[in-house]
Amino acid sequence: MTTVLVADDSETILLLMRTRLELAGYEVETAADGQEVTERVDPAAADGPDLLLLDAMMPRKSGIDALRELRAAGLETPALIVSAHQDPSDADAPTDLEISGYVTKPIDFDLLLGAVAELTEKAA
Amino acid sequence: MLTAAAVIGVGHFISQRQNYETSLERSYQTEMQARIEIAEGGGGQAARRAIAREEADRAALRDSISGDTRDTAILVGAGLLAGLIGALLLFAGLIASMRRPLERLVDAAGRLAAGDRSTRVEVGGLAETAALGEAFNEMATELELEASERDQLDRMKDEFVLTASHELRSPLTSVQGFAELLMMERDSLTERQVETVEIILDNCRHLVRLLNDLLDLARSDAGRLAIRPRPTQLAPLIEDVVRTMRAQTDGSDQTLTETIEPNLPLVEVEPDRIRQILVNLITNAHEYSPERASIQVTARVADAGVEIDVTDDGPGIPPAQLEHIFERFVRGDAGLTQRVGGTGLGLAISRSLVELHGGSIAVDSEVGRGSTFRVLLPLAPPGAVEEPAAGPRAIAEGPR
Repeated sequence: MTTVLVADDSETILLLMRTRLELAGYEVETAADGQEVTERVDPAAADGPDLLLLDAMMPRKSGIDALRELRAAGLETPALIVSAHQDPSDADAPTDLEISGYVTKPIDFDLLLGAVAELTEKAA
Repeated sequence: MLTAAAVIGVGHFISQRQNYETSLERSYQTEMQARIEIAEGGGGQAARRAIAREEADRAALRDSISGDTRDTAILVGAGLLAGLIGALLLFAGLIASMRRPLERLVDAAGRLAAGDRSTRVEVGGLAETAALGEAFNEMATELELEASERDQLDRMKDEFVLTASHELRSPLTSVQGFAELLMMERDSLTERQVETVEIILDNCRHLVRLLNDLLDLARSDAGRLAIRPRPTQLAPLIEDVVRTMRAQTDGSDQTLTETIEPNLPLVEVEPDRIRQILVNLITNAHEYSPERASIQVTARVADAGVEIDVTDDGPGIPPAQLEHIFERFVRGDAGLTQRVGGTGLGLAISRSLVELHGGSIAVDSEVGRGSTFRVLLPLAPPGAVEEPAAGPRAIAEGPR
């Protein structure tokens, strides 16, 4: 089963993401902020999530900061960054974190699910 | 100094003149006495000598006084001349001491008028010019404060729009996302419920469009609307937009066709932005034209670039509206706006975007005949090859 870890500080967004991803056949784990993500994901473990779907801005620790820590620890799992910014250029988008794509809000789920499928197939 | 000497000289001259007249009178009296003595048969030699002496004395007195008069006149003349020169010098000095501060003031006023709000003048010179300088500086300070307050307000407004449109996206994502979830179960919904959800989704899309447009305008105002042009083939881009837009025009039985000149040269544009402009123009043509209208998109080489025309045979735009058509929140005939879903920002943004590309946008319209919007885009440098987008891809909603 392909697992996607979704991190967002909004419970309704998490519920929405979980529902759409589960309907599309994925197993979904959720985290409320970047801190939970770094605690949950072990870069060395082989059975971690197949894809990270991280909100760019969250309290305590942002998705970008969490990804930066995990990449520094050697994590290679593909990651999508969800941003409320319309344009990735607004979101201080880092170029060194191997970010596979930026998802803008409101989310176009057809496009998102397409990207998720593509990225997790590569991973599998 | 010399003027004072002249005054003293004149004073001296007057007192001498008085002495002279007293001496003269005394001399005449003495002589008269001597002559009376002679007339009365007395006097003799002594009286005659006295007359001769007095006559000689008076002659000497006259010589002396005329010399004094001349000296005094010279002295007075010189004094007056010196006074005049002094006054002239003083006046020249006065003018010089006013001229410099006034010249500085004129310079500063010029700089201030040219927009340099930090301009100040050196306060100095006479009390009057110093006061003028101070008044000028106060005025400049007030203007500078006003300008910086205005700049700050502008920045706050831009920040506000950026933040607001950002903050509104998360709840909007939820509303739209859950409405879409409902629609996925449309088979178990009543017709009425499906209609209701469709209305929610329509309005979500409208809100997104409004947010995106507002954001673009705020960015444009803040000088932060950036484009990343690259050599681009227009034909596939136009075909793709037309194909996507046909879903809407088909719903109104309108015909949407494209005519693209073969072998169009590459243009130097950001494809997503050109897509945005075309969607704006075609959406306008679609929304302002009646059912069964015809909308044509043509592309051809023109002037120093490629021109894309979007032509409709709709109602046209009256001349009075035409000149304001690219201004924000200006929309076509108010009677039509009821069913037109636009934000009133599309053309203003399209113009900003086209101009950022170094191109131009224009419109021809005739009431009852229709409208043509012309977008001229710059060519890519000779020998350029089409480049794919750089960096991570954006997973965003389709054409805006």
